[in-house]
Amino acid sequence: MKRSIPFEIFRYAAILAAMAATLVPILWMVSMAFKPIGEWSATGADLTWWPKQPTLANFQFVFGHSTNDLIVALDHTALKPILSSLLSAVFGTAIAMSAGTAAAYGLSRFGSGQNLPLALIQLRLFPPMAVMIPVMIMWAFLNLNDTWWGLALIYGIVTLPFAFWLMKTFFDDMPREIEEAALVEGCSRLRVFTRITLPMMRAPLASAALFVFILNWSDYLIALLLTTREWVTIPVYMASLSSSMTGQLYGAKAALGLIAAVPPVIMGIAIQRHLVRGLTFGALKQ
Amino acid sequence: MSAVTATMSEGDMDARTKPATPDEGARLGFRLTLPAQILVLFISAFPLLMQLYISVTDWSPLSGVGWWNAWEMWNSFANYTDLAADTRFWSALQRTAIVMLVCVPAEFLLGLALATLFADDFPGKRIFYSILLMPMMVVPAVAGYMFFMLFQSGGPVNDILARIIGTPLTIAWLSDPTLALIAVMIADIWQWTPLMFLILLAGLVGVPEDQMKAATLLGANAWQRFTTIVLPKMKTIIIIALAIRVIENFKIFDTLYIMTGGGPGVATETISVYIYKVTTQDLIWGYVAAIALAILIVLSIVAVYAMKRMAKSREVPA
Repeated sequence: MKRSIPFEIFRYAAILAAMAATLVPILWMVSMAFKPIGEWSATGADLTWWPKQPTLANFQFVFGHSTNDLIVALDHTALKPILSSLLSAVFGTAIAMSAGTAAAYGLSRFGSGQNLPLALIQLRLFPPMAVMIPVMIMWAFLNLNDTWWGLALIYGIVTLPFAFWLMKTFFDDMPREIEEAALVEGCSRLRVFTRITLPMMRAPLASAALFVFILNWSDYLIALLLTTREWVTIPVYMASLSSSMTGQLYGAKAALGLIAAVPPVIMGIAIQRHLVRGLTFGALKQ
Repeated sequence: MSAVTATMSEGDMDARTKPATPDEGARLGFRLTLPAQILVLFISAFPLLMQLYISVTDWSPLSGVGWWNAWEMWNSFANYTDLAADTRFWSALQRTAIVMLVCVPAEFLLGLALATLFADDFPGKRIFYSILLMPMMVVPAVAGYMFFMLFQSGGPVNDILARIIGTPLTIAWLSDPTLALIAVMIADIWQWTPLMFLILLAGLVGVPEDQMKAATLLGANAWQRFTTIVLPKMKTIIIIALAIRVIENFKIFDTLYIMTGGGPGVATETISVYIYKVTTQDLIWGYVAAIALAILIVLSIVAVYAMKRMAKSREVPA
């Protein structure tokens, strides 16, 4: 449809306004991450929008190589929290994807597990806060508190609904002729699944895994309740980066926030096509 | 374990009744769904019973007895009667409702407006689209920290406002009860408007163009086309988008807790923050279990309703 010139002007103006609102908070953090301590906070005319003397000191501080200009040394660096976030998110994704993919195939092809769709949606509806008491008791009993593998297990369960629903819609959409041909050739059903279906579904599997990884990587509340010291994740560690002695370590937190924010944003853009499907449990496709 | 066997035979029978599905398929189907079934059971049945049990006691992790001995601290449903009289709980619930009633409509309207602007092609569309989606991919705790910095009294929000009105400003946003609530709502709207935009745009491009053209030929103006063709076509999608945001907004914790910790005082204490504080500071887990169960029951009813909607929507091509 042809649009008028005034409409186009209005459209670009509105989009630019939305872009500004979107980018200012992000850019403020990016800028903060490269500011030396003297530019962290100032008021009025002194407010530094862009670092006057850009520095990597904040990143060095976070990784513990240097404490120059900053008040205290940290009792441990960000390396272990980064490792904890990575391990728990990766293995949580592995749990969710393997259980979810297998179950989705079982339901999509053989009608097994009819209770799963509703049960998994319900799992997603509940605020994690409302089921954490028994989880904390069980995790303490199983010696899973404050470990990355304990986090991975709960992440795998919490994101199972997304893995299952995404893969179910992918399997439902997939043409079955090839599978049927292989069956006629004498392949067992399990072989068809592992040797034909899964390799064909590599791209959807990768998208679903990235989607689930973003969700696991983004968690704060569960890690806050289940980790205390050894295996805290990036967000928990970040929140602990301030004390009455040091005040807010703006630059250091911004540097860490930047490190935490970059992977999911890149992955999210990579799987843009599937975001709608993932977020609506397959109810909508783009 | 009886629940497992029940679901198993159910799945088996469903598969068998399907024509041309031999036993091999049913057995494989059962085995493939088993890990997911175990995980679901592991996180629902046992924890639910444990929660139910603890919720009728005064048990706390500091009480010196294991949770299985909590019956020694049986308090004859006092937790539930306490809950009814707990003004802090009800005000947290009310605050959660206020946040939801402001944020979700704001996200919806902004998202719909943006989606309308993106309905047809224009130069730069793809890059604008990618950038506008970014906030929803930012780790919520990090987003919370971004807005914590923005709303400092010497921060950029005051700086921008000061430039507009021409006098220096040092509003302590996060220390004022009303302004703190507004600040956390702005952060939520910033982060989740993109989700509304994304879903509504997916629905909007599904509206058939020939109908729009026909309506234009018949003399309908843009607003009439929007209300009589676009909105009715998008009804299910709008309901899904709103349902997702209502559910997620009800859980609001990460951004809010990093920005204000629920404060000043209890000014931004939503239901999740309240439960978190009772869990980690007051440590009365018997009471927390009662609150959690009450919430779970209400939400289960919502779940069934939402599920029916979702099932219906799948019949609509999107």
